[in-house]
Amino acid sequence: MLFKILIAGDGGQGVQTMAEIISKAAFQNNKHVSFVPNYGLEQRGGASLAFIQISDRDIVYPKFSKPDILVLMSEQARERAKLYCDELRIENKELRVYNLNDFAATIEAQNIKPFSHNIFLLGVLALVLGQKEICEKEKVFELLEKKISQKPGWEDNKKAFAAGEDCFLMASR
Amino acid sequence: MISNNRQFVTGAEAAVQGALDAGAEMMYGYPITPATEVFTIWIKKGQKYLQTEDEIAAGFGVCGAVIAGQKAFTCSAGPGHILMQDAISMAEGMRLPFVAVIGQRGGPSSGTVIYSQQEVILSCFGGNGEGHRLVYSPSNLDELYRLTALAFHEAWQYKFPAIVLTDGYLLKTKGILDETKAEPAKAHPLINEETFRHWRNIYNFEEELRDEVLKMENDFAAAAKEAARAEEVQTDDVEILLVAHGIVGAAAKEAVDILRGQGIKVGLFRPITLRPLAKEKLDKAAAKAKKIIVIESSLGQLARLVRDQLAPEISTPFDYLQKPAVGIEVEEIVNFVYGI
Repeated sequence: MLFKILIAGDGGQGVQTMAEIISKAAFQNNKHVSFVPNYGLEQRGGASLAFIQISDRDIVYPKFSKPDILVLMSEQARERAKLYCDELRIENKELRVYNLNDFAATIEAQNIKPFSHNIFLLGVLALVLGQKEICEKEKVFELLEKKISQKPGWEDNKKAFAAGEDCFLMASR
Repeated sequence: MISNNRQFVTGAEAAVQGALDAGAEMMYGYPITPATEVFTIWIKKGQKYLQTEDEIAAGFGVCGAVIAGQKAFTCSAGPGHILMQDAISMAEGMRLPFVAVIGQRGGPSSGTVIYSQQEVILSCFGGNGEGHRLVYSPSNLDELYRLTALAFHEAWQYKFPAIVLTDGYLLKTKGILDETKAEPAKAHPLINEETFRHWRNIYNFEEELRDEVLKMENDFAAAAKEAARAEEVQTDDVEILLVAHGIVGAAAKEAVDILRGQGIKVGLFRPITLRPLAKEKLDKAAAKAKKIIVIESSLGQLARLVRDQLAPEISTPFDYLQKPAVGIEVEEIVNFVYGI
């Protein structure tokens, strides 16, 4: 098993935080993990990517061009990640794309604030990866809580995580 | 099998751990991506450091500290690495155990802050001398840890500058470090306070310098017997020999596995040290092969080293997979081999 996740967003959206938590949860699930952040020299606002690989064996190379999951969080990221968004692979179900835009209705209905968008998608990912036994979704939440529960907006973030999970459950039904 | 001491760390953390376990005591530096974290992690661990006004000063700080017997080191990248060559060249001339971790980024000049394999020639031959320095190229986190520790051991053993030449991908990658703890390196003051020694960095006569450089060349060749390292994969019956270093070397190793599975007689020569190069191993593998493919994230810097060192009687033809400033994945290597 080698599972590849690419998360793409804008700097400041929390791409690297999501990647850090997922990687750690998989590591604690006794998987081999490689996570390499990728961004330019901007402090904020540039495209920010995270390449995550999770496997049962050693991972030899930190980057990849064919993700199994692609998470898109902004217009700029969609542009930057075009290279990885192979229509044929989507059609063949080799690539699943989770685009923030596709969740717009839920995000509006549940009043998920922009600063929690990454946490919402983390909720979605936690469930997807949990189902594949790549990491435990409870572990993802536990690590999230450890990392940001002392910071402002925790109630909103907690709600966003749960909404992400629910939303995915509804969709997969 | 998963052992208990496995840690989830970044490349920068692995390098710092390697330095600490080798007994490093002091760091001089000036921040530059992607090497900054080596410096900041060192500082966060409460270790002694000095942030200087630039890389030139950081390099000369290391020169001074090692003369006093302190296991000091520095880190840099790209344009900072260019400046640092001033001090590394002096370390080469004065035979100082200078240690540096270099994180290659794109070039020329500020290039990108991310990745390349374009600082190979700079590391090996970046001074106005003959390239008497030890240059290590780790392919993964474990090796980054191990070779950083080894750089201290061998710098102090052979008294040549030692450069751990890695890149932004590996330094920023968070993955699993699972290595046995390195031994501390032995260090001693190179001169005592009471002693007067005429220790030269400049010579009056050309002949004096010639003798000095020839002695260095002899010592370097003697050191190479032990210090030149390479990993050979499936080279016994090799027909197509891949040559790659660093993380591209790791990708090439995986490509060999895949291609062998399909019955193609591919092997790999992966230099672990770029200087000195494990020449005899290279010659032996290259002589057997029908084709040599040099694979690198640069337009031929590794190829230059390899062609230069290869015994002149070996006439195996070369092919090149060169992608300056970007990474090279396993699949690309496999497809390239199919293509020839």
